[in-house]
Amino acid sequence: MSTQRDDRPESDKELWRRLDADGAVEVQPVDEMEFAAWIEGRLNEAEAARLEASVAADPEMRRAALDVADILGMPLPAAPQRMVVQARALVGFEAERGGARMGFWGWLVNWMAPSALRPAAVTMAAIAIAVGGFTMGGGLGASFAQQQSDVDGIQKASSRSEVSADISEFFASDGI
Amino acid sequence: MQVADLNQIDLQALARGDKRSWDAFVGAAAPLINAMVRRALAPYGLGEEDVMDAAQDVFVRLCAQDFRLLRTYDPARAGLSTWLAVVARSAAIDHARRRRRPTQPLDEVPETALGVEDRHVEKLKIPQGLLTERQTLILRYLYDEEREVADIAQLLKVDPQTVRSTQHRALVRLRAYFREGTG
Repeated sequence: MSTQRDDRPESDKELWRRLDADGAVEVQPVDEMEFAAWIEGRLNEAEAARLEASVAADPEMRRAALDVADILGMPLPAAPQRMVVQARALVGFEAERGGARMGFWGWLVNWMAPSALRPAAVTMAAIAIAVGGFTMGGGLGASFAQQQSDVDGIQKASSRSEVSADISEFFASDGI
Repeated sequence: MQVADLNQIDLQALARGDKRSWDAFVGAAAPLINAMVRRALAPYGLGEEDVMDAAQDVFVRLCAQDFRLLRTYDPARAGLSTWLAVVARSAAIDHARRRRRPTQPLDEVPETALGVEDRHVEKLKIPQGLLTERQTLILRYLYDEEREVADIAQLLKVDPQTVRSTQHRALVRLRAYFREGTG
């Protein structure tokens, strides 16, 4: 398709060249949906006429119409894999999209809402973390043990100072 | 996936941003978008990287602002393939215009575009309503774009003979009007 020809009667061509068709039709803006509908021949007569006026007046739209009709009528080669991979990466997973839109609290509420088990799971996890942390820190037993150890240390130190005083008195009494 | 698979895409899920639907859509639409972008960029003499960039522009347009453009697609008005081809070509042309001016081999430029002799000649205006929109369109394709009758017939979904008869009627009207007008 899209071959060009040069075998038309020169008189017809010359006549057309002497004419200015720019003002012959009223041109209105066309959106992509409407343009696609026209290419498929789905517009009614009045709509099609209005659109054909716009296409006739715009060389770019004339080329676009022929290109689209041609591409749609031919077998298409596969796209490069790189193109597909990059395009797929444009849209992330749903959780990422939802999280980005709603913020943390919105995401948390949304995540918890669908199931009654989720709040329970969160509670259990919180308890496990608290107990684990408490245990790693030694718990109440370790705390009492530490206090007891401190008391014993003071008592032992006190006892050692009494023994030391007795020895000093013994040496002193011998005149040493 | 082939282009035909585009008809199996769940458009509602796609517009909601469903990842699986998007992946399926990309797989189905990529051959069409690839072909359309290459065709649109051909006159501009751009390279493979520009083809890739322009194709990404198309996909970005489709999913940007929470799939706003994709939501404008109406299956009742046109097929998804046709609409996508139009969108892809439009995005590719925008990309090409940002990059550089189009180039075209001299022997592929329509003769009318090369002609300079008419620049200083005042053209006769065709009065509004003398030709139908379709007649004007067909004469534009035949004489301004120098396209084949078969190409025009395929685009307009009519028989080639219909194109020829429309052309003939248009020329008869023009000749009659300007013969009368110019005496």
